[in-house]
Amino acid sequence: MFSYTSRSLFGVSKHLKVSVPFRALSTPSQPTPEQNNIPSQDPTETSTPPAPAHAASTSSAASTPADAAPAPAPVAPIEAEKYSAPGVKEWSERLGAFDEENRLPRSVQAIYLRPLRRKAEHGLPVCNLQLRSYSVRNVEFFADFAIRAAYYLNLPVSGPVPLPRITERWTVPRSNFVHKKSQENFERITLRRLIQIKDGNPRSVQAWLAFLRKHAFYGVGMKANVWEHDSLGMIAPFFCIASTIAILTSFP
Amino acid sequence: MSMQFPKIPKKVNIAGFVNTRVLRDDKKRQVFAKYEVQRQALRYAVRNTSLPARTRVQAQLELAESHSYTRSTTIKNRCVASGTARSIFRDFKLNRYQFRLQALAGELPGVRKASW
Amino acid sequence: MAQSRIWDLVKTQCRIFSLNYNPDRLRLGNKILRQRLRGPTLASWYPKQTVSFRQLQNSYKQFGLTTFDEAEDDREEAIQVAKMRGKGRPKKKRTAAESRSAKKKK
Repeated sequence: MFSYTSRSLFGVSKHLKVSVPFRALSTPSQPTPEQNNIPSQDPTETSTPPAPAHAASTSSAASTPADAAPAPAPVAPIEAEKYSAPGVKEWSERLGAFDEENRLPRSVQAIYLRPLRRKAEHGLPVCNLQLRSYSVRNVEFFADFAIRAAYYLNLPVSGPVPLPRITERWTVPRSNFVHKKSQENFERITLRRLIQIKDGNPRSVQAWLAFLRKHAFYGVGMKANVWEHDSLGMIAPFFCIASTIAILTSFP
Repeated sequence: MSMQFPKIPKKVNIAGFVNTRVLRDDKKRQVFAKYEVQRQALRYAVRNTSLPARTRVQAQLELAESHSYTRSTTIKNRCVASGTARSIFRDFKLNRYQFRLQALAGELPGVRKASW
Repeated sequence: MAQSRIWDLVKTQCRIFSLNYNPDRLRLGNKILRQRLRGPTLASWYPKQTVSFRQLQNSYKQFGLTTFDEAEDDREEAIQVAKMRGKGRPKKKRTAAESRSAKKKK
């Protein structure tokens, strides 16, 4: 149906073995176990990590445990490492210290792990983003991308929730009406994913949406419902102005 | 409503299948879109019982006298690829046969042969 | 509670939510005003032509690039062939006298 080129980031794991020249930027230290176990002790830390988004290389330089503060490296709270399952350790070994001399920057390593998430403080939904596509691979990939982007914009995210598929079927006579007995069936299955942003700053929600629109993926449609909340005093009779702000790209 | 139709442009600006009937239908659509607001205003006046009876009757007359192209009932969905007026899928704007051809050729994203 | 109080309540409610206050349930035709305009969607049924090959040709001409419109070339060739066979289009009659003489010949 569709041809999949190597757009998936997970297909390039061999490149891990390439020695990385970022070594010079980071101070000599073991980025692995003791450091990674720290964030599991204090989960509140996730709400205020210094943004590691800016650049892969530079942030890794700053992420050294030279400052032995309890809140460790900015990229540290990788979710997979919060759990002490044996499989996860393997990952950290492979990614964090497969070669202690050369390792990828933290933010690049994060790509190989489950997406990071912010914690929602109040859980007030601000934006519903629905992704639609005819191919699982595209929606899955783009949903993952959107969640990662939301993390770096400091937006708490829930999802992706797989919504029920929309199956449309058509039956068509193969030729003229005379031969009505011979028909053919066609179908189109639309897959949907829902990503919900919770208590985020409206401006950063807009930035997130704009970013997604800029990096729109082929074959994936987006629809966003954005809610804006105002204080009671703002406009007396209106408690909440709900608005469907943007249909980002036309639906497939 | 004094109707002065813009003439059908000599240069056809419809991409895809073109046909006299397609052109005519397109014309109807354009005209309808142009006069829709006016039409709705008249319809409102006709239905508003608080208006004087005279106004309402006038509005009724004007609606009745207006050109048939300002009505949406004359518009008929036609196949974009073949101009046929029967068994059109609204989702694709295609005739059932054109739909089958294009679906089999893989030109309709997401559509494939089904069996269940 | 007095009926008038209730009506007042309804009135304020209508004012706040910008609804029509219509206690007598008159037919005011507001449902027509609430309808969406269907014109734009209906008018865009047939796909509109955006760029023609001629326009592309013209836009490339200024860079000194040559383009070939094969369909156009074929058409012109066919016209040439038809002319050579004496099957070309008749000459346009410019004046009334010319057209009359053409009729008389018949």
